[in-house]
Amino acid sequence: MDNRPVQLERHPLRDMYVANRKVINTLLMVIIVFVGGEMIMTLFKHAQPGTFLSTTQVFLTIRLAAFVALFGLCQMIVICVGGGGLDLSVGYIATLAGILGARLMDGGNAGLPAAILTAIVIGAFFGLCNGLLTAYAGLPALVVTMAMANIVQGIVNAYVAATPIKGLTAPLLEKLAAQFTGVFPNILLVILIAVIVMSIVIQKTKIGVKILGVGSNETTAYLSGVNVRRVRCIAFVVSGIIAALIGLLLVGYLGQASKDMGSNYVMPSVVAVVVGGCSINGGEGNYLSVVLGAIVLQSLTNLFVALGWGDAGKWLGYGIILLAMLAVYVRSKRSR
Amino acid sequence: MKEKNKINWKTLAGKPEFSTILMLVIMVIVTACLQKNFFSQRTILSYINSFTPLILLAMGQAVVIIAGGLDMSCGTSMALMLCVMTRIMDPEQPFSGVTALVIGLLVAIAIGLINGFAVGYLRLPAVIATFATSYAWLGTALFVTPTPGGQQVAWFKAFYDMKQVPGLEAIGSVIPTALLWILLACVVWYIISRTRTGRYIYAVGSDAENAYASGINTAKIQTIAYVINAVFLYFAAVYYAGQNGAGSAHFGDTLTLQAIAAAVVGGIAMSGGRGNVYLAIAGALIMSFVSKIIFFADIPNAYQTLVSGLIIIAAIGISAAYAASQKKAALKGGK
Repeated sequence: MDNRPVQLERHPLRDMYVANRKVINTLLMVIIVFVGGEMIMTLFKHAQPGTFLSTTQVFLTIRLAAFVALFGLCQMIVICVGGGGLDLSVGYIATLAGILGARLMDGGNAGLPAAILTAIVIGAFFGLCNGLLTAYAGLPALVVTMAMANIVQGIVNAYVAATPIKGLTAPLLEKLAAQFTGVFPNILLVILIAVIVMSIVIQKTKIGVKILGVGSNETTAYLSGVNVRRVRCIAFVVSGIIAALIGLLLVGYLGQASKDMGSNYVMPSVVAVVVGGCSINGGEGNYLSVVLGAIVLQSLTNLFVALGWGDAGKWLGYGIILLAMLAVYVRSKRSR
Repeated sequence: MKEKNKINWKTLAGKPEFSTILMLVIMVIVTACLQKNFFSQRTILSYINSFTPLILLAMGQAVVIIAGGLDMSCGTSMALMLCVMTRIMDPEQPFSGVTALVIGLLVAIAIGLINGFAVGYLRLPAVIATFATSYAWLGTALFVTPTPGGQQVAWFKAFYDMKQVPGLEAIGSVIPTALLWILLACVVWYIISRTRTGRYIYAVGSDAENAYASGINTAKIQTIAYVINAVFLYFAAVYYAGQNGAGSAHFGDTLTLQAIAAAVVGGIAMSGGRGNVYLAIAGALIMSFVSKIIFFADIPNAYQTLVSGLIIIAAIGISAAYAASQKKAALKGGK
């Protein structure tokens, strides 16, 4: 008789699922939303088959989801290092960088380096403020970054009141952010590069080990000689810089800058990270699933709009999804 | 110990109440210097009227923070109650005001229960859970009033100013209506703080694990704290409904941060379990006076968001630094 516990047969597919559980779950969600949306539209709204699910539609959705996904990168970096961090100032930093960048670019490629440099300085400065106040002064990140959002929007308001917004995007940015190659939106390229870079940084470099270490257990990380505060502070700086660069891309996407172009992306970017399965407690960072999370959100928004629920349905839906995903992924444990 | 009868300034300065009251006194003096007729009855009345909602919000926030949570949704949930009530009221039918009051209260309790359920029973981090619900309230409020608007029945004005409603002028001229709301909130909290629940709220906030281990139903206590908060928000919503007779889904967006900052300035420790709800009133007054000072200092409108953001960060930062220094002093001196 063999009394040993039954060894589950190892199957390559099963191993693959276990290794990439969250990406696959989110991908399944994408498929469910697209197929479900198509069914709802054809059955209840008597739309033509293919209005919701077709190659062009999918790529259009991805193009719309791109900026939520990009802001999700900032959010993911900050959430990744733990400490209950979130960065609510990203959209506002992007707006400020975009407005100043548009002025510097002024419709030509020549001003692009100056615009990028300005964006990096702006992003690094506000990111550093966030980082110092949260990591070193120990204030709650959500409150600090929300106040920082007020400050940056205040600067934008004051600047716009003094000097009217002027300037157009550099053609290069427009090509990158707004145009298509065939059916492929060019911005997909940016996202793919970000996915590859992030996965290399997180999985193959020392910095990645530090980030995940600080996020999953700060005490262990501290005892192994990692400067926890510095890592957390740097995460906010990086988030700020990326946000400012996204601001330039936003100008490219819209053609010109506007006073509140970034603010509507903040909440969705948080939801995208949570839908993508990154624990809000930190220690996990898979940017591919965040991108998929953003696509889920965008296709849901499309569905709400198609059903005529508009803004109300969008915010209500985002709130409920965020709460539900939180309930699934991040319930704190207690011995009961 | 030889000078027992003298006031011990060091211990007095060490109390969290001290810094709050001191700040409030400074604010009042600065405002009084900037405004000529500060001590006239009319000015004081207008101050009370415009400060009351933030005071109510800050008191609610204080209860939640003491219970170990935070409410990032207080502005939007107040806006939702306001939208619901002004939507229900119909000037043609005076009785619709009663319906609005009842349904508004039900909405308030539902909001408190949902927030409390998410934080207490689902054990989600309070900050992000209420951040999520705030968007649920925003969406619901947009369903109720897609564009800003609404109506009120004539007698609803009494909740803002009794002098404007025939039959109640006598009460209105003795005591400002706004003050009655603050008194009501204080009475509610006084009664609760005398009960076992009141003590449990502090216990859960200072150490949830130990409170749970000693047999307190922590989830229930946190839910109760969120419901109390929602009831205070309901007071503010009724007050606004009486004042404006209209609502907008984005009405309370800026109030959330201010309420949190007011509670923190009022000496409520962000870590939970410590602080005095009545001092949140002083905190709210400080925040309100600051915005008045900004107004008098002739800062252009465009800069006001910027300045208020800076002040909120400064206020929270200073309070945190002060609390830390007190803790350090206590560790050094007291043994």
